[in-house]
This record gives sequence, structure tokens and C-alpha cells, in this order.
Amino acid sequence: MGKIIGIDLGTTNSEVAVMEAGKPTVIKSAEGQPFFPSVVAFTKDGEMLVGEAAKRQAVTNPEGTIHRIKRKMGRGEMVKLREKSYSPEQISAFILQKIKKDAEDYIGEKINDAVITVPAYFNDDQRQATKDAGKIAGLNVKRIINEPTAASLAYGLDKEGDHKIAVYDFGGGTFDITLMEVGEGVFEVLSTNGDTQLGGSDMDKALVDFFAKEFEKKNDIDLRDDPKALQRLYEAAENAKIELSSTLQTDINLPYLTVLDKEPKHLELKLTRAKLEEIISPFVEKTEQPCKQALKDAKLKPSDIDHIVLVGGTTRIPLVRKKVEEIFGKPPKRDVDPMECVAVGAAIQGGVLSGDIDKDIVLLDVTPLTLSIETLGGVSTALIDRNTTVPTKKSKIFSTAADNQTSVEINVLQGERPMATDNKSLGRFHLDGILPAPRGIPQIEVTFDIDADGILNVGAKDLGTGKQQSIRITGSTKLSDEEITKMKKEAETHEEEDKKRKEKVEIRNNGDAMVHTTQKTLEELKDKFTKEDKESLEKGLKELREALSGDDTKKIKNKTDELSKVLQKASAQIYQQAAQSYQQQQQKTSEADSKKQEESWSGKPSGDDKTIDADFKVKDDKKKAGKKD
Amino acid sequence: MTSAKPTGKKKHSNEKKDVDLKKEIEQLKQELKENKELLLRSIADFQNYQKRIEKELKLKEYEIKQKYLSEIIDLNELLKKAYNDKDPKGALKLMIDNIQKFFEKEQVKCIDCIGKKFDHNLHHAVTTLEKDNCEDEIIVEEVKKGYTIDNKLLRPSQVIVAKKKEK
Repeated sequence: MGKIIGIDLGTTNSEVAVMEAGKPTVIKSAEGQPFFPSVVAFTKDGEMLVGEAAKRQAVTNPEGTIHRIKRKMGRGEMVKLREKSYSPEQISAFILQKIKKDAEDYIGEKINDAVITVPAYFNDDQRQATKDAGKIAGLNVKRIINEPTAASLAYGLDKEGDHKIAVYDFGGGTFDITLMEVGEGVFEVLSTNGDTQLGGSDMDKALVDFFAKEFEKKNDIDLRDDPKALQRLYEAAENAKIELSSTLQTDINLPYLTVLDKEPKHLELKLTRAKLEEIISPFVEKTEQPCKQALKDAKLKPSDIDHIVLVGGTTRIPLVRKKVEEIFGKPPKRDVDPMECVAVGAAIQGGVLSGDIDKDIVLLDVTPLTLSIETLGGVSTALIDRNTTVPTKKSKIFSTAADNQTSVEINVLQGERPMATDNKSLGRFHLDGILPAPRGIPQIEVTFDIDADGILNVGAKDLGTGKQQSIRITGSTKLSDEEITKMKKEAETHEEEDKKRKEKVEIRNNGDAMVHTTQKTLEELKDKFTKEDKESLEKGLKELREALSGDDTKKIKNKTDELSKVLQKASAQIYQQAAQSYQQQQQKTSEADSKKQEESWSGKPSGDDKTIDADFKVKDDKKKAGKKD
Repeated sequence: MTSAKPTGKKKHSNEKKDVDLKKEIEQLKQELKENKELLLRSIADFQNYQKRIEKELKLKEYEIKQKYLSEIIDLNELLKKAYNDKDPKGALKLMIDNIQKFFEKEQVKCIDCIGKKFDHNLHHAVTTLEKDNCEDEIIVEEVKKGYTIDNKLLRPSQVIVAKKKEK
């Protein structure tokens, strides 16, 4: 079965969402916005425009543009646009067609089915009209659901047993309150109320009036008569409203707002959240009466309400949330975007109907904590990050930490802390029989494989000999919530000191590796270094070794850096010599040969880079680490 | 006796059939198990892919912010200098030229609109103005400049459109 989209067919804007791999996604319009203006227009030339384009031209084409068609649904009224009559169902169908098309472009497949939401107070005629609109648009309307029900679904409130919900929907132009009872996934509307002439746009207008009056006080001119200035005031009002939802004060700075007596005038004023709240408070207060009436109609006390769900952009304003809390005596839920929750809920309903949800198959577990192994210096090296969906399989290549090391220990860890000792050890095992080789040369592939039941199989394989070992750990994803919270909290509180400890180990590891590299280089190239270079290398090596035997991290770092510089300088000289002799050789060879040379330079690196990979992810040798720590 | 033979044969063939069917059931069970495992892994992979993309998008957003904010920071520093300058005109001209160049590089172009016919693809009508001697739907004023990027709309020009006075 194909996808079923969820559509919030709104009065001013519509939204659409769809389930993807068990998660709802809000679909953007072709114009790149997460909503579609519910506006339809016919231009003089007979072209039909829907959404953003229709909205842009609305004021120049009032006779050909229709807004707020939702209010006429199911009333048998026709609307006339450029000498032609349309039913509200037809107009709504044009909006749905645009949504369908843009959603198809987004998903990349044809869409036939939809769930559409309507206000709880819509009667049968209005619901049928909405269904018909879908049919005209070529959509098979699988179900019509109430907007407040959809919003509650977005919060997963259908799964929480019997309780009562208040859905407080405060949009741009309307206010609705719906009280519902839910039991065993069935929603029943107990009462609805609202105000069709109350919304965020009233607040914008009040703010613009305030700005204009402040300006008039100083300049004796009403900016509202100047369409250019008025437009900028509206923009500033909306921005201030959004800004003051998260800050306590904002500056309204509008340079060159108008020209007075040939002198440019700017608007400069500070707006505090307190002042904003004073201005918008009358509109927020107006929502109280409908809420009280709805409670009365449902014969409920505010304390009977278990959950409050917010819908609509205006509910983002802190004063509105405060008011809601005051009315119902408890804070509203707020983790789903109030602009998107109705469409999201409709998509979830669509997912249930198409079988995308409620089958075990998509209810896959995630790993609650990071799974790692212990590496050189007691560091936790992650293989599977926290929150990874299982079943999953990850491999990494490690190597030995010491020359001629023939055994590695794999210590499987769970937790967010960077050091192994702070995490929980789930199990450990040895892989023996590694052929004696210099450190960093053996390649040991460690694989973590978690199946759908949360059983973790950890395997280690020596890629050289093919020898392998493994361990099976059950219950790696099944931790109690308390355990997870505790471990996460611990990680947070210890973040700083953990970082320092890890840094310390890393510096030590680097110093250690530097000693090893220098030693090896000295042995291999002993005849090529100059006497001075050799002496300074040996001196640096001695000093670094001394530093490593102590506990002064800073000293270790300094000595490592110093030795690294000396080594680089010494090696560079050797390379220069080599390059000179290479050039001399090159001059002798033919041009065809030099072309060949070029190819090998640009060619793909072969097995070599694998070895490098292994070199810096070094598996700890327990005995050795014990000595060093 | 004679009938025993075919029965035995039948029994035998039935047994064989049973064994075959059992084998097939086992095989199908195994296949089903494998397919289920594969399906679960694909879904998990997809979910993990989604999580990775989310992370990458955030990173990308940060990169884009970094790029454009650093341009604005430069501009801010220069504007501050210009503000303290007695005669900043020359410097301001250079700054505007620099921004213009930056826009050119990013394919950002200003939308011409005054005197043009209103086009909902590029313009957003803020209001209309009644005029006598004017063609209908001609843009007479620009409230806010609009821009395109790569020939796609960045933001529409906000305009005031002429309406012929009704006689």
C-alpha cells in the first residue's frame, strides 16, 4: 500500500506531513516553506494560482482571489471568481491538489490516500464537504479526524490510558478550545468553544499601533498612512513578538522609515517583554471565557484535565502559556511544534491506517548507551554510538600496542564516559596466537553485531592468521530508565574532568608512540643521519623517556613536540638527499617513463593506508597499560 | 498380499513426501528468518542513516552560517570605522561595491520592478494605488527590494501596484 499523507487543511495556512520509517516528517511546499497559504486565485488571463503565489498577488487581484474558504465549507454557498462560480469544495480541492502535487514531488511517488483534519465543531455537512474536496482533488480520503484529536495523537496521548485532554488552539486568526476524553485509543469530544475573530494578527496590529503612536509623539506624523512604512512596522511587530518569546528585551530599529521636511526619520525604541505583554494581554485574557464555558459545558473542573495540548503559532508566546497554566492549573505539553502538530497527528493516523505503524517491525529498539572497547591507556573507543537503531553491525580495525605482542584483550564497555574504568564492563575475552610483529602491524578486526532482540555479539579476528574469538552478551539494549538516566547524568557531571583525563592519556599515548617511532627510525636509518642529528635525536629521546616516567603531562607534551620537530628536521634532510639523487636518476630516464611515474603518484593508495589506519587505533595490551598507568 | 505391496509403496511414497515437505518447511522457515533479519537490518540501517543525515544537516547549517556570518562580521567592523569617520562616503562606496561583488559571486541578483507589470512569481503586492493615467497592474513603488539567487527566487520584491481609477 502506498503512503497516506496527513493534511491539516487550515483557514489561513495548510500543512502536510507523512510517515517515513516510523517517524512523521513535515513536507515543504515547492516554494520551500513548511506550510501552504490556503489562498486560491484566478488571474485576468485565467491562470489559476494556489498557495504562496496566490497570496503574493492577492491585493492587486481582490476580485479574483479567495481566502478563508474553510469558513464556507458545507454551507451550500457558491463563491464567484471572475464571472465563474465555484463551490467551496472545489476551491478547497485546488488547495489539496497543490498539496498533493508538492507532496508527490517530495516523496517521489504517487499519492492516492490522505487523512484530513477538521475542527471538532464541524457538522456532518462540513465534514462531507471536506471529504468531497479531497475526492475532487483526486485523493481517497481514508478518514476525516478532528484537529484536536490529531494534535493529541502527535503527543502520543492515545497510548496513555483513560484521561481527559484540553486542546488550546490559538492561531493567526481564530481561537478554539476543545475538551476531550480518551480511552483505549478512542477520542470523544466533550465540549468545544472559541472565538472566530481572535488571533495573533490582532496582536500584530496592536503592536503596530503602539509603534506608530510612539513615532507620532516625536514626529507628529501617523506612519500608518504610509503603506511603505506600515509594511515595515508589521514586519518589525512580528519579529519583536518572536524575539520576545525567548528574550526579555529587544530593540526596534528601523532606519529611514520615512522622510519629513526632507529629513530622513528613523524609528528607534526599546521594547521589553513586560511592555509587549501589556499590549497583547487583552487578547490573551479573551481566551479565558471560552475555556471556562467549555469546562462548564463538559461539567468538568480544571483539575479534571490531565493534559493540555497547545496548537497554533500564537501559543509560542510565554504569556499565552502562562495564561493556559493559570486557567487549568498545570503546565501545557510543549515538545511538538504547535504549528505542525495537527498535520503530524494526521500523518500518524495515516501511518496506522496504511500499516506503517503498530507493527512490531518498525518498533525497533535503539542502543540506550554507547558501546565501546577499551584501548591503549584505558580509553573507551566507541564502536556503536548511543541512540543507534538495532539490529546493526559495526567493525573497526585495531592493532597491537607493543612489539611482539601475541594476545589482545577485548573489554566490551557500555556508557558515555571517555575512560574505560568509568563505564560498565559487559564482558571481556582474549584473542591469542597473534604472530609476533612490531606494534601497529597486526590487524585485528573487532565487530559489534546487535540483533533485533538486543543480543550483542562481539567478535575479534586477526586478519593475518584468520584466528577469531567472540563473546555473546544479552540485554545490552535492555537497561532500566533509571540506569540510563543515571549513566547519562554521570557523564554530564564529569564531562570536564573526563575530558582532561582523556587528554592526559592521549598525550601519554602520543609520547609513547613518538619514542617508538624515533627509536625505529634511528635503527633503520642510522647510517643516513648526520652525527649532530643523531645526537640531538638521542638527547630528545632520553628527555621524553624521562618525562614519560613521571606524571607531568605538560612536560610530556613539550618533550613530545620537541622530539617531533627534531625528527622532522632530520628526516627532511634525508628526504632532500633522496630527492636529489632521485632527480638525477630522473634526468636519465626517458619521458615515457616519467609519465608512468606520474600515474603511480596519482594512483589509488593500495593496502598501505589500511596499515596507517591500524596504527593510530591501538588496542591496549593489559599488562603494558598497567605498567604505564 | 498383493494389496500389501502397493500400500507399502504408497506408505513409502507418503513418507518420502512428508520428509520432502518437512525439508521444504524447514527451508522456508530458514528463508523467512533470513528475510526477516534482512528486512529488520535494512530498516535499522535506514533509521541510522536518517540520524546521520540529521547530524550532517546541522553541521552543514553551521558551515553555511560560518561562511556568511564571517562576511557580515567584516562588514560590521568596516561600518564601525566608517561611523567614526568624518567623511565616510568614499569608504561606504567601496563597501557597497564589495557587497555587490560578493552578491555577483553568489549569483544573487536584484529584481527590477518599477514600471514593470506585476508578476506573482517575483513580486509580492503590499497594496494598490489608484491612478488616472496609468496602465493597470504596473508597479509604481518598491517597498522592499527583492532578490533572486541562481535565477531562483530568494525573496520577492514587496511592491505597490497601480490600479486604473474606475470611471
